[in-house]
Amino acid sequence: MIVKFLQVLTLLFLSAAASAGEVSVHKNETTGLLTWTVKDNGFTLELIQLLPDFIRAIYAKHNFPPDEIERAASYCMFGSILKNTSKTNMSYRVADWRYVPKNQKGEAGEALPVKTKTQWLEEWKKAGIIFSWTLLPDSGDFAVGDWQQGFTTIKLPRESEFDLIYKWKLDGVAHTGTIENLKCAPESLSDL
Amino acid sequence: MKFKKNLLAAMLLIPTVVLADWQQPELSHDLTKVNKVIPAADFELPNMDEEKKKLSDYKGKVVLLNFWATWCPPCVREMPSMERLHQQFDADNFKVIAINQMEDSDQVFAFTGQLEIDPTFEILFDSSSEVSQDYAVRGLPTTYLIDKKGKIRYRAIGGREFNHPEVVKVINSLIEE
Repeated sequence: MIVKFLQVLTLLFLSAAASAGEVSVHKNETTGLLTWTVKDNGFTLELIQLLPDFIRAIYAKHNFPPDEIERAASYCMFGSILKNTSKTNMSYRVADWRYVPKNQKGEAGEALPVKTKTQWLEEWKKAGIIFSWTLLPDSGDFAVGDWQQGFTTIKLPRESEFDLIYKWKLDGVAHTGTIENLKCAPESLSDL
Repeated sequence: MKFKKNLLAAMLLIPTVVLADWQQPELSHDLTKVNKVIPAADFELPNMDEEKKKLSDYKGKVVLLNFWATWCPPCVREMPSMERLHQQFDADNFKVIAINQMEDSDQVFAFTGQLEIDPTFEILFDSSSEVSQDYAVRGLPTTYLIDKKGKIRYRAIGGREFNHPEVVKVINSLIEE
């Protein structure tokens, strides 16, 4: 009971702290895949749905073992482009970000941490993989004009819906925003 | 069998389609002056001809040191501008060095053949990413501008239009020091 109360309280707090970022959704006319772009007080994040076969292709190209390719492809992955669009310094830490899965009725669940690049690299190291690129870096200290890209990984099944709570700092001042109703890519283009 | 067939199709088709979306951001030309000027770590890496090259070989020249890979869309986009920048300066004053991450000369050779401008600057191979770790590179591309004394003076995270007049001006100022 107390745990549930705290969960509700946390969600209420997060909702209250969330900024009103400008979110746009673009549908790729060729593939049908979706891209979300949020522009929020000097922080711009694009999230592009990625098909599991794309993930398989990328990691097969880098000679990952088949089971690790499948494990990566089982995640809900987005190509992410993160830009400092402010006139000052911007920083972020993926470890501060949370995703909130939604059930079929659209009800929000518990806020969960987004898996970081460091966590992936530790797992890959155990599998003998030394390749360390492709994923969005855990953190960044961006000067004016700096930007970065890489995969953002969410542990959810295909076509799941969720909200992403993202955090960043502008000149050391913390900000929080939410992109609502993101959707994981389907298994293949024919499922769209 | 079906998996292999699907995977092959994905390797050939899907990256192209998806990468089209990844190539949207416009390249800026901002270089960031580093707060603390520190010496650039020396390294020794092979080039396309398997000759070992050291950063210290270029002391006395301004060096644009770029970390990249062929599968990285912004790296690919900024490469022609790096070549134009390279051609714009006297080789005695300025050098572009592009350090490839975890690929081999065959992959890079095949890749450069598809570029609008064939790179004539030095491409080196950091096969284990050790040099990128020494330079605290978190993502690709990342670029450092090193002065004639071998000190890091500017950096850029993400793709840039390197032959922009503002960048040229910064390089000229470092050459004239």
